[in-house]
Amino acid sequence: MNIFLIVAVVLVVIIIGIYNSLIGRKNQVENAFASIDALLKKRYDLIPNLVSTVKNYMQHERGTLTEITELRAKATSGQLSSEDKIALENKLSRVYRGIMVAVENYPDLKASQNFLQLEKTLNEIEEQISAARRAYNASVTDFNNSVEMFPTSVFASMMNFKRKQLFEIPEAERQNVNVGDLFKK
Amino acid sequence: MKTLAEFQGFYNEKLFPRLKTLEEARLKVVSNVYSYCGIAILISLGLVFLTRNLSNLPGMIIMLSFFALLAIYNTLTRSYVREFKNDIIEKIVEFIDFNLTYDNNGFLPVPVFIHSNIFQKHPDIYQGDDRVYGKIGVTNIDFSEVNAKYVTKDSKGRRHEHTIFKGLFFQADFNKAFKGKTYVLADFSERYLGSVGKFLQNINVSRPPIVRLEDPEFEKYFVVYGTDQIEARYILSTSLMKRIVDFKAKSKREIYLSFIDSFVYVAISYNRNLMEPKVFKTLLDFEPMKEYFEDLSLAIGIVEDLNLNTRIWSKE
Repeated sequence: MNIFLIVAVVLVVIIIGIYNSLIGRKNQVENAFASIDALLKKRYDLIPNLVSTVKNYMQHERGTLTEITELRAKATSGQLSSEDKIALENKLSRVYRGIMVAVENYPDLKASQNFLQLEKTLNEIEEQISAARRAYNASVTDFNNSVEMFPTSVFASMMNFKRKQLFEIPEAERQNVNVGDLFKK
Repeated sequence: MKTLAEFQGFYNEKLFPRLKTLEEARLKVVSNVYSYCGIAILISLGLVFLTRNLSNLPGMIIMLSFFALLAIYNTLTRSYVREFKNDIIEKIVEFIDFNLTYDNNGFLPVPVFIHSNIFQKHPDIYQGDDRVYGKIGVTNIDFSEVNAKYVTKDSKGRRHEHTIFKGLFFQADFNKAFKGKTYVLADFSERYLGSVGKFLQNINVSRPPIVRLEDPEFEKYFVVYGTDQIEARYILSTSLMKRIVDFKAKSKREIYLSFIDSFVYVAISYNRNLMEPKVFKTLLDFEPMKEYFEDLSLAIGIVEDLNLNTRIWSKE
């Protein structure tokens, strides 16, 4: 009789442990996504700065500058699902990188103190975003492992937990940016 | 960074003439050591002979003469060692980078060692020498040989000294700004215990949470703990992880790093004394000089190896 009681208690403890670790991992993933979001917001805040710094120099790229301003407005408007957010973010990264490459054609701009300062801040945020993406991927891998590995997988399917997507760099972004194309628009 | 071939040229042209003069001084020191020690040994043998019938005295005399010999050796060689270091080691440091300063008696202060928190045990005995400091490009560096120990007493009241760390301890200004603490430590437990070791790392309460990184090569050698998961990855970019693995391969030693208050600390462990001349060996040999050059280059090269001069982030 006593043995059954002990076994039952041990089982309950194990179940609670597994349940909590699954919830913990799910929250970890959400937390990591939120920190990417926070960093992206920091980058959006710098875009007006970038545009105002470069617009006096870059007479031929007016279109691109308008595009990036519009993208930023869309991104900060709020009403977006996380997939849309990622897609928009990728587009924004592409345009942004185009601007940074085009700067090469304007030596005066490149040498200006304002721009140098801004470039450093932007580099830093880029590096932090990439770190946050890696942290997100690490927590997603952790989460996916527990969703697919036995015995946590049994509980995960009961709790309706599904594999989550890793933050991948889309095909378009892997290719080198073609600056000419970018400015033809 | 200077190459070994360049050093060979420097050795032939600049060091060798100077070594020749020092070699004369060394031979003099050696002959002094032999004659003084010989006299001391003769005197103590005589004393032992005279007191051979007294119970404890001969044993005590032998012990005392042993200490006397050590003292004679140290006194006779001290000024030679100092001259050698101030002359030759300093020249090698200057040859590698003339912006650096060498101080043969100086060492990295204890607070720096403790602040790095690479080794959590606080030292009771802390010694060092051969400090090198200065600016390489835009990066301030400071390193020295360090020997840190702690002392325990057993139940019988006997003193035991245990080494915490022996080797080169290096501090430099890191190229990115950060607030948290990140530790990159040699991963003994995972290397030898596999998944059990992995489990043990997870429950290590004396360190901040573990940070699992994507580079399998890096994970094989190191375990990372950090107060902030994102910041740890911000510091340990994919390229820096690769650089640390390469540096470990190049040094062929155990290395430990910590990143605290925008500083990077690197501990490279050695089991021999560094930058010490061998009194009983000839100076006119390239091998020991090559060793000094390589030990110094390894530490000074950290700036280049870890890319610390790249300042494209907001930290100047």
